[in-house]
Parts: sequence; structure tokens; C-alpha cells
Amino acid sequence: MTTVPSATALATAAVTVPPADPADHRGSPVPTLGMIASRFKELRKRRGLMITLILVTIGIPTVFLVIRLLLHALASKTYGPAGGYDTYTALVSGVLYVFGFIVAATLGATAGSVDLAEGMFRHLVVTGRSRLALYLARIPAGLAIIVPLVAVGFTVVCAVCVFAAPTRLEFNGVNVPVNLSRAGLETWAADHADEVICNFGFRVGPSSPDGSAISAVVNTVPCGNGPGGTSVHKLGPGAAPGSPTQPHASAAQIRAVAAEIARMNYSDYSAQFLYPSTSLMIRSGLWLELEAVIGFVVGLGLGSLIGQRTVAVVVMIVLEVVLTPIFSRARIPHLANLQRALVGLATAHLAPGGIPVFGSGGGGPAGGSGNPGLLPESTTVAVCVIVAWLVIWTGLGAWRMMTRDA
Amino acid sequence: METHGLTKRFGQNVAVNDVELLVPRGCAFGYLGPNGAGKTTLIRVLLGLTRADTGTMSLLGYPVPKHRDRALARVGAIVDEPRFHAHLSGRENLELLASAREPAARGRVGLSLERVGLSHRADDRVAKYSMGMRQRLGVAACLIGDPQLLILDEPMNGLDPAGMQDMREMILSLVAEGRTVVLSSHLLDEVERTCDAVAIVDRGRVIRQGPIAELLAGTSLVVQVDCSEPDRVPTLLERTPFGAQVQVGADGVAITLPAGTGRDVIAEIARLLVEGGVSLYRLQEVQASLESWFLQVTSRLEAE
Repeated sequence: MTTVPSATALATAAVTVPPADPADHRGSPVPTLGMIASRFKELRKRRGLMITLILVTIGIPTVFLVIRLLLHALASKTYGPAGGYDTYTALVSGVLYVFGFIVAATLGATAGSVDLAEGMFRHLVVTGRSRLALYLARIPAGLAIIVPLVAVGFTVVCAVCVFAAPTRLEFNGVNVPVNLSRAGLETWAADHADEVICNFGFRVGPSSPDGSAISAVVNTVPCGNGPGGTSVHKLGPGAAPGSPTQPHASAAQIRAVAAEIARMNYSDYSAQFLYPSTSLMIRSGLWLELEAVIGFVVGLGLGSLIGQRTVAVVVMIVLEVVLTPIFSRARIPHLANLQRALVGLATAHLAPGGIPVFGSGGGGPAGGSGNPGLLPESTTVAVCVIVAWLVIWTGLGAWRMMTRDA
Repeated sequence: METHGLTKRFGQNVAVNDVELLVPRGCAFGYLGPNGAGKTTLIRVLLGLTRADTGTMSLLGYPVPKHRDRALARVGAIVDEPRFHAHLSGRENLELLASAREPAARGRVGLSLERVGLSHRADDRVAKYSMGMRQRLGVAACLIGDPQLLILDEPMNGLDPAGMQDMREMILSLVAEGRTVVLSSHLLDEVERTCDAVAIVDRGRVIRQGPIAELLAGTSLVVQVDCSEPDRVPTLLERTPFGAQVQVGADGVAITLPAGTGRDVIAEIARLLVEGGVSLYRLQEVQASLESWFLQVTSRLEAE
């Protein structure tokens, strides 16, 4: 038994502050590598969550592509190649973009709320470690999980879309060699004049000096057989059915017209790819990772703020799947600036050219915005909106963690 | 550990009411009170888990919350039921906590598990642990920081008798190493067996505190008498100046004497009974327990 002072000694007790250990920085808001590694391990060992993340980010595109590969292998005339440019854009915008955000948000909401829900928060607070450091440690730990997962899923898509791409480009129903220059396309068109004239679209103005000449030549080219074995002629602009046609056009004239039509179609042709370019894949990958980072950080902040995973995940899904598509395309008077504050709209504006988002119906030319239906927003504003979302949600989550009763 | 005028309110409810408390270094200190008395709230305030409304406090000489990080560097605590990440093993949970402490804490994980007797189950998932094992893991979590002060909130909860005995021995061994242990509990018997000093808390206010021996010295003295004619005892003692209160029951006569009564009075009572023609078979001074003292104090307060 020890000697214990009586209660009357309380009033005279003096407080002396012992010297602190100079090597102990637990009051610092900067998390240590050990804290980040431990948090990473804690998240990684959540088996159910990890299986879900892997299934969504890697499993869904993989299953989709495997089915396409099998179908093409079994019935190649009915089912086209599994990969290719169109498959790539569809998977990037329709699957990886949306589901990547949702799984990242799920992971973030989990990281932000489980300590509280599972009773570990007070153990951690009692260590004396800065609550801000405890919060910040979750960001690199979570990103170390979600960024590689999205990267793996994206790599699978890229690999299949490149290596299982169509070998020939079908342009207006005609198999055309890829990557031709303007002159190359014109030369090829001259060599395949009938196919080009019968299938490629063209438009000539009524006052065009060559318009009537082109129409006259086009009308002489037979494009298959009609009922009763009669030949069918494509009608050039301005030519009415039954109108008199030039009985004969020389081969040279036909070749020249085909080359001219090819020249008119070159801009559309040059936007057609068999498979995504390396540049597009790099930009798409970075864009998807940006989306995942935003999803994680916002989910983390929201999870920490409300202290609950399920509600946070539902809110994030509603934001991504319901609200963002609606408010990105609708033009609501007086609320346009508020709509521009949506992070989903901002990331959509940063989409690489050719990647359609929110069902805008196909990509535009590489290098430009592929989403003409979106509410207009400059790149600067989009970047500012994204940075603001990252900073504000990190701030909110950290503030709640620092002030919350444990 | 020291508090002055510490108060914590939840709306109109005062959970901790102007608490003055001093826990000296190197002792086992019991913090006693009925359920809902505010024991856990005081601990949460001390550890920075919630904020105090008024008052000052210090841990290991560091004012809190100003130097909370330095103070908690050498504090280990279990608050309420110890809960952990169920999908991790006991060892992994401790490693997670150690990563938030100083680098040396990681090296103490194995030793802590060994000390609480969990080494053989350290790599099992916590989901498979019993309540008692989680309590032990909670103590191990306290030990990884090599604490000078341990605050244990109801550490006996969920333990079987053997587990309680182990916990008691562990607490005593920690005190023997020079650490201070604050044991919050409503199990008076356990506190009496383990602690050197106690504070009694009721409705958020500390109503008594000090060394147990000192506090019990202020309790009434009870003498249990087994004799031939119990019914005559009240009559024989009613005119004496001792202030005795006599209760006759099936198992004998209980004579309650005021606090501070000397042992010579017991001899005088024996002489009076024998001279009154009552044959004495047994006369025994009953040691006052913490429980009886606690009940006396709290019942007196309720009467007031």
C-alpha cells in the first residue's frame, strides 16, 4: 500500500510541467509513414470491401470483354472484334468513369467512418496523436488502394481494346485502310471509285461550279440492282429521280469525282480509329484516376462528417448517377453558376477528346471536348471547382474529426 | 492526475459537477460510483475524448488540453467496453495503435500481448475473441505506450472469476512497477482488494476521497453477538452511554457503535451482558467493508 495524501491536500497541489521528449512529434499534423502503412493494411484487410472494389473496377470490364472475345471467337461473322475504339470509349465513360467514382467514394466513406463505428477512434485519440494527422493518414492509405485498382481495370480495357481491335476500319459501310493521309485517302478512293461514290456521303452547294459536274458523274455510276434486274444509280444533290442523266462518264472522270468525295469526307475519316491512341489512353487513364481521387477524398470527408458509411455511400451514388447527369445537361435559368459548381460537371469538361460522358452520344474528334451537350464551363473554372471540392471536403472531414466526441 | 472545478454538462444534465480530484503517483486509485454517476464522463474529459465546460485538469503534470499530446504519451486507457477492428487480429490492432505512438511502441506489442496472456491468440481475428479476451487486449493496448498512468474503466466487466483474479494481479504488478492505476468501477469488493485510495462519485460530484483505511476509520463499529438470551440484550444496553444501536435477528444480535468507539467499550459490553445473566457464546467485531461504508455514505446523502 502506498501513502496517499488526504483530500485536504488538493488545494495546495502545485502543477509543474515536465520536459517533453524532443523526439516525440505526436502533436504534429503530419502523419508518419507507419500510420499510413497501418491504415493501408487496415483497409486492405477488409475482405468484403476489397472483393467488391476488385469486382467493380476490374471484374465488370473484364467479364464484359471476355464475353465479347468469346462471342467473336465463336461467331466472328455475327459478332465483331471484342476491342476497338468504340468499345474503349464505351467502357471508359460508361463503366470505369462512373463505377470508379462510386467505389472510390465507398472506400473513402469506409475510411472516414469505421474507426468511429467500430470503437477504435477513442483508442487512437488516447494515443495523444494529432487528430488531424489521424485523418490525413487515411488519404494516402486509401489512394494507395484505389489508384492501382482503377489502373489495373483500365489496363485490362486498354489491352483488350488495342490487341483485339478490328483490323480494318469500316467507314460508311466500306472497309477502308486506316491512318491514310488526305492524299492517300484520295488515291485509295480513286482506286475504289464505285464503292466511294455509292457509299460515301457528299454535299455540294447549288452555286458550286463543280456541283453539277459531280452530280452528273455520280448519277452514271450503278450502285447495285433494283427490282427486275434494273441497275440503281445514286442520285447526286439536286438531281430528281427520273431526271436525265449523263449516259457515259469516263473512267478518269469517275476517279476524279471519287477522289473529290474522299477529300470531303477526310475530316470525318480522320476521326475514326481502330483502337485508342497511346496519347488518348494516357489522358483517359489520368482522367479516370482524377475521378477516383475526387471520389475517395469526397467520400472520406463525407464519411467523417456524418460518421456513417451507408448514408455517405448512398449520397455519393445519388450525386454521381442522378444529380450530376441531370444538372450537367439541363440549363436552369439563374442557377447556371450553381450547376457549374458540381464536381461531376467539372471532371466531365476535363474528359479527353473522344470520351463521351453522361450519355452524350459519342465522342467528338480527338483533342476537343467530346461532350457538346454539357453546360459550358471553362477549363480554368473546372479545375478551380475540383480543387475547391478536394479542399472543402478534406477540411470538413478533418474539422469534424478534430471536434467530435470520441 | 489532478482536477479542479471540473464540470461537464449535457444540456440540463450535469454529468461531472465541480470535481476536485487528486490521484497521487504510484498508487492504485479506485473511482467508485453507481451506474450513471458520471465516472466514464470524467474519464472521457480527462483523456480529451470530450471537452469540459469549466475547470482545469492535468495528467502527469501536464495541463490538459494544452499539453494533451505530451500528457497522453505516457497514458494508457480503456474507456467503456474495449472495441477493436474485428477483421484484424489482436496483434494487428495493436500495431495500428502503436503506429500512432512513438516508434518504440511497435516493439512493445509482443511484450504487451504476452503480459496479458494473449500471445497464443494474438494472430486470431478479434471477431473470434471473447469479451474477456477483448478486455485483456484493451489492457495490452494500454501497455504498448509504456504508460506511467493507466485509466481503466470497468476492466472487470465480462471476466470470469479466474480472469478477475488475473486482472487484479496485473493491476497490482503494474502499481508495484511504479505506475499509477486509476480503476473506475462499481464493483466495491474488487476496488477494495486492489486499490490504496478511492474517490466516491455520485450524481457527477465527488463526495469522499482518500486512502481506504482512512475513510473506513470513520465508519460505525459493528459487534456481532451470539448469546443465550438475545431478546434481553437491548434492555441491558439501553441505559449505557455508548450510543449503541441493537438489532436482534435470526443469526444473533448486531450492536452498532458510533465511529471512533474504542475496543474497551466492547469489553464493557461483554461484562454488562455477563453480569446481566446472559451467557455469551461468541462476540466478534465485524470489520467495516468498503461496501458497507459506501452504502452508509450514499444512504446518508439520499436522506439529506
